[in-house]
Formats: sequence, structure tokens, C-alpha cells
Amino acid sequence: MTLPALDIKNLPTPKEETWKYTNLSRALPDSLNLADKQEEILIHKGRGEITGKAEEIVLTGHEGQHHQPRLNITLEPGAELTIIERHEGDGAYWKNMVSIIEIGANAKLRHIRIQDDDKQAVNTSMVRIALARDAVYDSFTLNMGGKLTRHEIHAVIQGENAECTLNGVNLLNGEQHGDTTILIEHQAPHCASNQFYRSVLDDSARGVFQGKVHVHKAAQKTDGYQLSNALLLSPKAEMDTKPELEIYADDVLCSHGATTGQLDEDPLFYLRQRGLTEADARMLLIQAFVNEVVDKVADETAKATIEEKAQAWLQEALKK
Amino acid sequence: MIKINDLHASINAESEDSKEILKGITLEIPAGEVHAIMGPNGSGKSTLSYVLAGRDDYEVTSGTATMDGVDLLDMDPEERAAAGVFLAFQYPVEIPGVNMSTFLKTSLNSVRKQRGEDELDALAILKLIKTKCKELGISEDMMKRAVNVGFSGGEKKRNEVLQMAMLAPKFAVLDETDSGLDIDALKIVADGVNKMRDPNRSFLVITHYQRLLEYIKPDVVHVLAHGKIVKSGGPELAHELEEKGYAEFLDEAA
Repeated sequence: MTLPALDIKNLPTPKEETWKYTNLSRALPDSLNLADKQEEILIHKGRGEITGKAEEIVLTGHEGQHHQPRLNITLEPGAELTIIERHEGDGAYWKNMVSIIEIGANAKLRHIRIQDDDKQAVNTSMVRIALARDAVYDSFTLNMGGKLTRHEIHAVIQGENAECTLNGVNLLNGEQHGDTTILIEHQAPHCASNQFYRSVLDDSARGVFQGKVHVHKAAQKTDGYQLSNALLLSPKAEMDTKPELEIYADDVLCSHGATTGQLDEDPLFYLRQRGLTEADARMLLIQAFVNEVVDKVADETAKATIEEKAQAWLQEALKK
Repeated sequence: MIKINDLHASINAESEDSKEILKGITLEIPAGEVHAIMGPNGSGKSTLSYVLAGRDDYEVTSGTATMDGVDLLDMDPEERAAAGVFLAFQYPVEIPGVNMSTFLKTSLNSVRKQRGEDELDALAILKLIKTKCKELGISEDMMKRAVNVGFSGGEKKRNEVLQMAMLAPKFAVLDETDSGLDIDALKIVADGVNKMRDPNRSFLVITHYQRLLEYIKPDVVHVLAHGKIVKSGGPELAHELEEKGYAEFLDEAA
């Protein structure tokens, strides 16, 4: 696979189809130290190697930095691993990351990303995933930090009976801009892919969800599912959604859906009739909206961290 | 005791499509009594229940509604709930992602907190849920599911009765609780209501059919047509309506 790195000398512009909602060059900090070296993280698990405890990677950005982490994860056939990738930092910086993930036959990777970068930072993360037969990639992203973030995932399902799950929650406020762009290529038969994203957008925050499922002619019996739901807490918040299906096989089951809206009045009134204050009722409903995705995180420790961060964010949002 | 006096309410009150739905309802329900309201579709039955519970889609343009002398119309929905008003919804709302036990716990403790009572701990609530489920013949498996999600029509209505039993209100409004129920489900629901009849509790049972009133015996039956109560009488009035239909009242009020 080619390295999909973003080059500061040749940045994508909104004229490109998949970048039309996201203006990267305008968001980058004025002064970046371009002499910064790349940081390489290599993770390799041998044939049948099963790692019980989750491994954690912490990526920390610093003021003025052009941080270029390169993450390579290779799982040999039958290996199993859970990775927790944490993003944090301090100041205005550009974290320009590339991840190359190869999952061998019957191997399984759980990939949990907690993106809580500084609110002045830009985080672009280009992820390439290749799945062999019977492989499983199960990912979840909590996207809550950064001034502008772009999480671009390109998954290629190369062997049959493989499964690729891309889930995520965006919690954005202020002027934050969070872009999730996905391309899943089904090249082999009897595979499944799931995308389930939920966004809560407050103030003037803007969310972008572009998800494309491309089913090649050979990929009969594909089961593809895609759903993006966004909840707008403010009249200035915005969500741009572009779900796409491109199907060349004739025996597949693919569905996609997208909703954007405010909190429903009916459940709100129902809860208030049962004694909950309006603030508590809102909190409970938004929490439930978020937790339906978070509940799918298999790693209990990571799930607890995510729930805690989400709850703190919601409490802050509803205080206003 | 509940006193409703010359109550008028409109939908879309501020806009050009403003429409008056309740056109002067006067009603008194003494403590301990069960009153039934029957009426054709569109007569204002559900609007009355929403107005009493405080849904803000409707605007009360004039009239009063009090419970033990306290003005209900001035309160938020949650304050009415804490004061003891309960509405069993015609269409109970599904709430994905919130499980039944969390919901019941939050509901009961919210009401207790507003009343200045101590909140109950998880164990005490669980015990209470267990007892009430048993009394009402509700399977405890239901407590692990999300509120009303995937519930059958009968389960949803039983769930409403369970919530009523947990909150032990002073005044319960049942909005077409019988609609869409088969006879067995209807009996369970009616039985749950009858167990709660109490000298200190009033009920307003809104229904389209006389059948429910075979199982929940009302003290008084009112006929609602065109936003007004056009006739009141004893339980025999329900039978009369079942035989003759609502035609005579529709003509009278028009």
C-alpha cells in the first residue's frame, strides 16, 4: 500500500471532492517547526500471538510542532491485540499522522482512539487497513479535541469472511471542526462492514461524515451497514453528511442512513412527566444517544474512560 | 380533589392556524373517585390530558385547573409530577439507550428530591420494582430492556401502570389506556388500576370504548364533544353510549 501522507508543501484543498467540507491549510498554525523528525511506532504480533492486555500508545503534541507519527501495526495470522491510541497535547501544533495496519488471516485487532488534542491543534490522521480472510478489525474513535480534525480511513477487505467495524462518537463545541471520511472496499465475498457514528454538536461546531462503501464485483454476499446520526444542540452547529454506496456485485445486503436534528420533544416531555427536570431529561437522552455507540466498545477499561470523558463534556455543554 | 373550571386551550395559539380545542371544560373529581371521559375522535380528550400534564404545545387561553387548591397550570411538567399528577400515555414513548431500571430509579428519585424527601438507594429501588412487578404480573426481564423499545402494545400499557404504581400519584389521568389491548392485557391493566384505588387518589379515565369501564367501574361518566362536556351521569351512561353511539351529542354541540 502506498503511504497516504499529507505533505505540507502540497496540501489538499476544498476543490478536491473528498476535502470539500474541510479547509486544512486555513486551519494550520502560522508557525510550524518543519525540522521535526518523524516518530515511528512499530507493533508486530507473530503468528497466533494473543495479547490479553490492551497496549496503549500516547501521542503528545507540543506548541509549534509539526508532529508526524507513523504507526505500523502488523498482525500475523491468528494474532489478537487491543490498541488504545490516545491523542493529547498542549498548544497550537499539527499532528500529521499515518497509520498502516495489516491484519493477517483469522487475526483480530481492536483499535480504540481517544482524540483529545488541544483545542488549538490540528490533527489529521490517515489510516490504511488491509484485512486478510477471516480477519477482524473493530475500531472506535472518540473525537473531542482539536480545532480541526480529519480522520480518514481506507479499509480494504481482501479475503473472504472478514469483518470491519468503524464506530465513533464526535463531541464538538466552540468552533471545532471534525471530519470523518471513510472508504471501505469490499474485494472479497462473504464479508461484513459496519459504520456507526454519532455526533453531538454545540455552539458553532461543524461535523463532517463522508462514508463510502465500494463493493467490487467479486464481493458477493457482502453485508454493509452505515449509519450517521447527529444531534445539534445549537442553531449555529452544522453537520455535513455524505453517505455513498457503490455496488458492482449483484447479491449483497447494504444499507445506509443519516439523520441530523435536535432532541425530540416526545421523549423529553415523557421524562418530565415522570418527574425529571428539563436539564436532567436532556442529559439522560443525550447520554443515551452517545452510549448506544460507546456500548459497543469491548475493552472495559477503555469504555469506562470514554464514558467518563463523554459525561464530563455533556455536563459542561448543558450547564449553559 | 381536582377542580377544572371553564378551561379553554388552543393549539398554535400564536400563529394564524390557531385552533381552540378545549372550549370551556368544567369538572370536579373529589378525592377517591374515578371519573371517565368518553367521546368521539377529535373531541379534545387527549388535549385535555396533555393540558393537565403541562405539554407546552397547547396554550391555556382561559380557565383554571387546581389540585387541592393549588394551581396546576402555572407549574412545569416535572413540578406537576412531583405534586402528584400522573399521565398514562396513549402512546408511551420509546427511549432507546435508557434501560427500564435506570429510568424508574431516576424518575422516582427526581420526584422524591422535588418533594424534599431522601433519594432511595439502588437496592431499595430494586426491591420496590420487584414487588410492583410481581403485583402487576410483569416479567422482571422487562427491566433490562430500553424503555418501551420493542415492547408489545400490552407491555407498553402495563409499563405505564407499573410507573403509576411506583410513583403513587394523587391524580392519575389514563389516556386511552385500553386502545389496542386484547381482553387479557386489558384485565391486567384494569386490575393494576383497581389495586391503586384509594380514598386519597382521584382518577380520570379517558376512553373511546365502554369495555374498559366494565373492569374499572367509574363513579361518574362524562361525555366530551367539540371541546365541551355535554352530558354527565352514572355508569349507565357508558352503556347508553355504547348502544347509541355519539351521533346525538355531535349534533347537539354543533
